[in-house]
Amino acid sequence: MRNSSGNAGGVRLSRRAGSGLVLLFLLLGAVVMLFPIYMGILNSVKTQSEMLTNILSFPAKVQFNNFSSAFEKIHFFRSLGNTIQIAAVGLIGIIVCASLAGYKLSRTKGKLSSALFGLFILSMLIPFHSIMITLVKISNELSIQGSIYGLGMIYIGLGVSMAIFLYHGFVKSIPRDLDEAAIIDGCGELRLFYAVIFPLLLPVTATIAILNLLWMWNDFLLPLLMLTNSDSYTLLLSTNMLFGEYSNDWSNILASLILAMLPVVIFYLILQKYILNGIAEGAIKG
Amino acid sequence: MSFIRNGKKTLILLAFVFPALLFYSVFVLAPSIGGVWYSLTDWNGLNPTYEMVGFSNYIEALSEDRFFLDSIGFTLKYVVFMVILSNFFAILLAVLIESRKRSKVWFRTIFFMPNMISLIIGGFMWMFIFTKVLPYIAEHTVFKFLDQSWIGDPRLSFFALLILSLWSGVGYLMVIYIAALQGVPQQLKEAAAIDGASALQTFRNVTLPMIYPALTIGLFVTLNNSFKVFEAVFALTGGGPGRATQVIALNIFEEAFSQSNRYGYASAKAMILFLIVFIITIVQLWIMKRREVEA
Repeated sequence: MRNSSGNAGGVRLSRRAGSGLVLLFLLLGAVVMLFPIYMGILNSVKTQSEMLTNILSFPAKVQFNNFSSAFEKIHFFRSLGNTIQIAAVGLIGIIVCASLAGYKLSRTKGKLSSALFGLFILSMLIPFHSIMITLVKISNELSIQGSIYGLGMIYIGLGVSMAIFLYHGFVKSIPRDLDEAAIIDGCGELRLFYAVIFPLLLPVTATIAILNLLWMWNDFLLPLLMLTNSDSYTLLLSTNMLFGEYSNDWSNILASLILAMLPVVIFYLILQKYILNGIAEGAIKG
Repeated sequence: MSFIRNGKKTLILLAFVFPALLFYSVFVLAPSIGGVWYSLTDWNGLNPTYEMVGFSNYIEALSEDRFFLDSIGFTLKYVVFMVILSNFFAILLAVLIESRKRSKVWFRTIFFMPNMISLIIGGFMWMFIFTKVLPYIAEHTVFKFLDQSWIGDPRLSFFALLILSLWSGVGYLMVIYIAALQGVPQQLKEAAAIDGASALQTFRNVTLPMIYPALTIGLFVTLNNSFKVFEAVFALTGGGPGRATQVIALNIFEEAFSQSNRYGYASAKAMILFLIVFIITIVQLWIMKRREVEA
């Protein structure tokens, strides 16, 4: 009796020690994760000379000169506006095109329907780097190279496949009776879609919106290839250009990095529950 | 009658699919087909005329182009390290974080955060750490070994690249594994514990088999993404020193847009990358199908 209770105590003790170790390990990991961001923030409020002599300590005097200068150099509002417009065109286009196609492809049986669905899915096999050269040529010929709306339209083409796939799967869970009842009530195909079906697609639409927004917001290579004029640069392109021009002026660069990541970090902290769910769902189904 | 009805149905289907198909054809299908076509030519991007050269671009890329072959070798090395390390850390983090009660949400938020930040920004931040902060720490503390040329030395820049990639990518996989772990019935783990299994035994014999589907996903996500790695290298090392950290995607990018403008030749390299990713995906689908049949 005494023996067994002693064992239980030992187990409890080792459990607690184990739990302490786990916590320690996780805290250490969290420090590593946050370290670059912390160092970035810390040194962006120092002067360049203070940064060079005292990189780890708190600033003697917090100053925001780096931010005001970086703010101008990366044309923060202009770049932010460009990024938002590109993402908006892409996002609205992807949701409209993919929900229409995904719904109808899922509802229609037959060879044509599955062939079209297969054609869309095919592109998930194609790495972007394999088509980028010809894509530049095509957009050049269509005279959309350099235009932020043109870039948004390219995102529609690149993004519809995954969205169609997710819509296609989700529509299966909506009973067909709904469609039939609406048709009997004299509802046209298009009205049936936007008045009855589309509202029911809201959960998967939210997932698609989050995944695509993050992708377009953080994409670098396609804007780099498409946007030739610095007036239409995105946040990332402006930051990259600043880095190229002032590669040793770290306090300025760090301030610009903090500014450039601010929107997406705020977005994450507000919507993180939905983002994490969306990521898990997108990965498992896609 | 039924023919007419079918015809109408087909028309409606096409009408619904048309907008998506239009964008998809112009910006994905056409460049894909064009890429295959140009890979067989000597097109240089400037000259309007070009000639068919058959497979000679492919032969040149795979036999004479030392930089391209090196970039394949380097990418392979990167892929092996990333697939093992990122999945290992992601599972470890997922299991440990799931074992916490109140702090669970906090840790999940923190470990996933770097994934939200573009690799371009993350790459520049880590460059600051590698070129300024670590040398400073080495100079002023006992950690003298940190004073290395993290970006300039080809051996070390590989590890710098791994650190950046893990920092950015591990949270994404962690989220997948956490979702899988939450699907493991609590009773199973409790039953194993009552039967006297240790935490490690429970993990290996109960939890791990239950998250195999997620493991398949995690492995192929990292395989695919690591073969296509571009931004991490672009921001942190630019492929250097020299071409020591040049990956396939960067080699294609430079061939097409910053060095020779040999678009046709670069297209052939792009097709080789496509074939590599294609084969991986086919193997993935085959394995998943087989597992589904078993289950």
